[in-house]
Parts: sequence; C-alpha cells; structure tokens
Amino acid sequence: MYEWLIENKELLKLFYGLFIGIICLIIVLRSDKIFRLSLHQGVRYFRNAFLFFGIAFAVRYFVGFIIYQGYVPAEIFSYSKMVFEFFIIMAGFFIFYSLIWKQVERSSEPFFSSILNPCILIFYLMTIIFITLDSIWGGYTAMFFSQIFLFTFAAGISFTKFLEKRRRKFLKFYFTAMALTLIAWTINALAVLLFRLNDGIIINTYILNLIVFLLFLYGVMDITRK
Amino acid sequence: MARKRERLEVIRDILRVIQEKREIKPTRLLYSSNLSPQMFKDYVSELKKKGFIQDFEDKKGKKFFKLNKKGFDFLQEYKMIENFVENFGL
Repeated sequence: MYEWLIENKELLKLFYGLFIGIICLIIVLRSDKIFRLSLHQGVRYFRNAFLFFGIAFAVRYFVGFIIYQGYVPAEIFSYSKMVFEFFIIMAGFFIFYSLIWKQVERSSEPFFSSILNPCILIFYLMTIIFITLDSIWGGYTAMFFSQIFLFTFAAGISFTKFLEKRRRKFLKFYFTAMALTLIAWTINALAVLLFRLNDGIIINTYILNLIVFLLFLYGVMDITRK
Repeated sequence: MARKRERLEVIRDILRVIQEKREIKPTRLLYSSNLSPQMFKDYVSELKKKGFIQDFEDKKGKKFFKLNKKGFDFLQEYKMIENFVENFGL
C-alpha cells in the first residue's frame, strides 16, 4: 500500500490539495452563513482562517497541476512557495485569534474589518518576516516553528474552554482537532528538518492533516445542518 | 446562585422581549433585560449598529424599539448560532 502511495505521490498530492481546498470551501460557506446571521466576530475570524487555508491549498493544487502537466518554470516554484506559506501562516493566526479576540476587541465595538485591522496587520507583518526568513534560509523552518508555537497555544486555549464547558460535545473534538494539527505540524517539521523528507513520514502527515480537516468539516456540518 | 448569562444569551433575551411586545419603551426593555444601565446601553448600541433593532418615536415623541429583519433571523436561527459559537469556543 505504502509503495503504491509513494509511486503515485505527485498525483496524490494533487488530489490532496484539491480535496482540502473543497473541504475549506464548504466550511467557509457554512460559517459565512452563521456570521451573516449573528455578525459575531469570532465566527468571522474562524471563517477567514478556512478561507486562507482554502486559498493556500488551491494555490498548491494549481501549481501542482501545472507541474504534473510537465510545465515547470523555476520561478513558479519560489513564488508559489511564498504564496502558499503566506496563506497557511495567516490561516494559523486567524484560528488562534478566533479563540482570543474577546480579550483584544470589545464585543460592542469590534474592529470594522476582519482582514485589515491593527491586530491582523501585526499578523501580516509577522508572516512576512517568517516568509523572508524562510527565503533566506531556503526552507520552511520559520513556518514550522511559527505554526507549532501558535497551535500549542490554540490547543491549550481550546483545552481550557473544554474543561470550562464540558457539556459542549464538540469542544472535545475541537481540542482534539487542534492537538492533531499541532502533532501534524511537529511531524511535518521533523520529517523535513531531521528525516530529509522521508516519504513514509510525509504520507502519514498528509493522512493526519486530512483527518484534521475532516474533523473540522464534521463539526461545522453537524452544527449547521437543519 | 443563578449562572451568569453568556453574551449571546443576553442578546437573545433582549431580542425576544422586543419580539413579544413588538414595540417597547427603553425603560421597559431595561427592566426586562436584567442588565445594569451601562451594560444595557452597550448592548442596545451594539444591536442598533448591527441592524438587529431600530428605535423610532411615536406621535407623542416617545422613544420605542422594534425588531428588524436581521433580529428576527437571529432569533429564528439562535440555536444553531449558539451551538456554533460555543462548540468552537469562539
């Protein structure tokens, strides 16, 4: 099974990007519906997170598709890597901020824009710094460490919220999803930084990532179904 | 001791009172909402800003609140909104 997966790695990567892109699109549409009804800032940042995840994976899919067709201009690699990294890191920031926005903004006077406001501008700036560092170092080290750091906090916050409100069944799943995301980022970092892109580890990371996105999708669909 | 209401529950309660009365004076709404005057002011200004409610004056110049379509929609889908916000810890 692993051999077949490794042999068809490039094609599978293509479908993986497309599949996660579609999952994100469904989550964005569903959470946007909730946001329009409630005008709740937390829902808005949650929606933005999956919008950015979706764009990141869509970019990855289209670039992968071009490469699969045999057309591989060298500059596409470096630009798409930066675009992918930008959206992935920002998505992590949005997920994190959706959990803490109440401590920063006043509910009665929330920031007017969820894409351009003082807090999000700081995240953009940090993201650009991480991308620049990765461009200089030639890898994804800054991205890995930023995401591991962010999801450690996000998992901690969601665990605290789960302990506070045990009656909410999905908070347990949400904490699990956050913890799995943290594990996926850690394994991904280890695979790239220590094990020199070991195929077996990379495939396991992809599967783990897929499970995480499916968990998020399950939660959103379960709550928003009529 | 009664549990402190969540923000969404307070909004629901305010909107429900307005829905039941159709039109309501600010002082009556303040009593029904069980909030301090300052908190009440904050919530009402938030609801007006979001377009959930609006105020108007009758012929005698007395101020009233009434629900907008957004407010009705919020009440209709309240359970789903509450589940979403609470379950994702937002």
